[in-house]
Amino acid sequence: MVLVKAKRDELVAPLSSVSGIIERRHTLPILSNVLIERSTDSLAFLATDIEIQITAHTGSAQGGEAHSVTVGARKLLDILRALPEGSEVTLDQQDKRLLVRAGKSRFTLQTLPAEDFPRLAKPGGESAHFALGQRALRRLLGLVQYAMAQQDIRYYLNGLLMVVEDRQLKLVATDGHRLAFASLPLAAELPRQEVIVPRKTVLELAKLLSDSDDEVAIKLSANQAAFSFGTIELVSKLVDGKFPDYTRVIPTQHKNQLHLAREPLRQALLRAAILSNEKFRGVRWVLADGSLKIVSSNAEQEEAQEELEVKYSGEAIDVGFNVNYLLDVLNNVSGEEVECSFGDSTSSALFCYASEKDFKYVVMPMRI
Amino acid sequence: MPDAPRRIIHIDMDAFYASVEQRDDPKLRGRPVAVGGSPESRGVVAAASYEARAFGVRSALPMARALRLCPELLVVRPDFARYRAVSQQVMAILREASPLVEPLSLDEAYLDVTENLWGEPLAVSVAKRLKARIRDELRLTASAGVAPNKFLAKIASGWRKPDGLTVIAPERVERFLAQLPVEALWGVGPVTAKKLRAIGIARLVDVRKTSEERLRGAVGNLAGWLERLSRGEDPRPVEPHRPWMSLSGETTYARDLEDSGEIRAEIERLARRLAASLERKNLLARTVTVKVRYSDFSTVTRSHTAAAPTREAGEIAARARALLERTDAARRPVRLLGVGAHGLLGEADFLPTSRALPL
Repeated sequence: MVLVKAKRDELVAPLSSVSGIIERRHTLPILSNVLIERSTDSLAFLATDIEIQITAHTGSAQGGEAHSVTVGARKLLDILRALPEGSEVTLDQQDKRLLVRAGKSRFTLQTLPAEDFPRLAKPGGESAHFALGQRALRRLLGLVQYAMAQQDIRYYLNGLLMVVEDRQLKLVATDGHRLAFASLPLAAELPRQEVIVPRKTVLELAKLLSDSDDEVAIKLSANQAAFSFGTIELVSKLVDGKFPDYTRVIPTQHKNQLHLAREPLRQALLRAAILSNEKFRGVRWVLADGSLKIVSSNAEQEEAQEELEVKYSGEAIDVGFNVNYLLDVLNNVSGEEVECSFGDSTSSALFCYASEKDFKYVVMPMRI
Repeated sequence: MPDAPRRIIHIDMDAFYASVEQRDDPKLRGRPVAVGGSPESRGVVAAASYEARAFGVRSALPMARALRLCPELLVVRPDFARYRAVSQQVMAILREASPLVEPLSLDEAYLDVTENLWGEPLAVSVAKRLKARIRDELRLTASAGVAPNKFLAKIASGWRKPDGLTVIAPERVERFLAQLPVEALWGVGPVTAKKLRAIGIARLVDVRKTSEERLRGAVGNLAGWLERLSRGEDPRPVEPHRPWMSLSGETTYARDLEDSGEIRAEIERLARRLAASLERKNLLARTVTVKVRYSDFSTVTRSHTAAAPTREAGEIAARARALLERTDAARRPVRLLGVGAHGLLGEADFLPTSRALPL
């Protein structure tokens, strides 16, 4: 039975959209497969790792008699990508095999029954629905996602906090040493909702969102988050846990402030980073009237010193930071001017941007 | 050509905690004293005075049992800060004789006095002088063992106690070994001893007559070590800067804990105490462990290792709480809780790390 006849590119795009989440090694062999689902009016690809499920519909509606089958996603994608651009491809199920034909090329792939393919359960409980532009959400994710923890025992940090409250969507990510916060106004007042979206979901979502004004519809419920945009629907389980009270760690009282041009600061840090300790990545900020010195040294006693002329009249401060934490924010958040505020050498520093009113970055100093 | 014989001393303070208590409180002198937790809180004996030992009171005995053995036993709550201070005085005296001092605990240490700062040709003279200094300056007694290696020195110090001095000169090692039962060995507990006796090894020297396969069959990997010891050989050097392997603290509760809030609060308290002790010792830990003993005495431990070492109280507490979640604590009543730190980095490895956000 012929499942679909289409141009190569019409199949490659949706198939690569869903394949990103497939784990290389899995205890369930069927999880390395993609579900090809034909309904009366469309053809969809669906992949899952049990936590996340992504569905992508083919651009041109390719309906027909309802039928579905699963086949190794990686192999199918590799085959399709290797075919010449513009080829006409036919996916044809013959008994328990899937025949891929294009011009004079033929491939027969093993299939597994669609009934065995695991699907995420429908979400339970109340949910908050709202929509944003894809570009806006992508930008918002980019402002914070790099600060998420990775494989932290505090599993609730291995994800992104999404809060809907006060007519805003607030995103918070932290690995326990630095924290990024960003918010965006919402069109309507919604009931308060708070979820932790797993790290992998966030990274995948940021990858799939396009740089367009097209909408992404978001549904947050007690145990699932769903994002629909373009031809894609991404549904994810949530991290079950209590995110710590982030508002407590965003300083509001720091009096020692200075404004820096982002790019020169970033360049100075990149240079100083070369001679910072490879493992601990410390750089010292020595702030005095009118000058910021950035100093680093490594285990071999090699030293780097950068000096930036600044308008500064606060207290003299000597404080150490992990340079990666500073470069993270400067690389991921653009904007001409950065405003840094300090308490003392043991309290956190706050980074804000003149051009990003709803963004805050808090970083803890090092013990030196 | 074999190396020149070393001269190793093992110093073991006699009933250390109990002796410090008796020294500092005249009312306790000449009477049976046990330092440890109260019987109501299911405490155990940490140290017993020699008067108490006459009644069969030994360390690690539940205090309630100790009191049944010796109803007039005086129970003293331990004061580790004081014992640590006295221990430092003891170690300072030992270091006057040789820089090669390896403390094993608060009340025990090895010294290598092959070369000593006092220029004494005989190790036994060094041991006598050390014992005299400890007696005169600290009003405490120690037992000393003098031998060509650690293993023999440690057995020798236990030979005559309290206030003993036992010397095993190289030429007398053979005679000494001949009378040693297998139980006397370091690393041989009652279970292993039983296995050895089962294959006809009652004395250490019997090991030599046993084939290696037979020995390996009975005690596994311990065989090679036993074989060496049976010939009186122990090449381990005295290591003055042996790093701390781990630090931990645990509490046995007077009544089983069943309330999850209370259990979390206790884990938090233990974690913070551990962080404080890392701070004092200038150490950082990569691994945090949590130990839970349920009311039926079954015990589980959970551990987590992070890439970056820490001693930040907040972070250690958060990790300990997360580990606690992976046990059945509260769903099952809890008798004992402990928090430990492993993978410790010492002062030499001390490098700056980022502080934790006060989340």
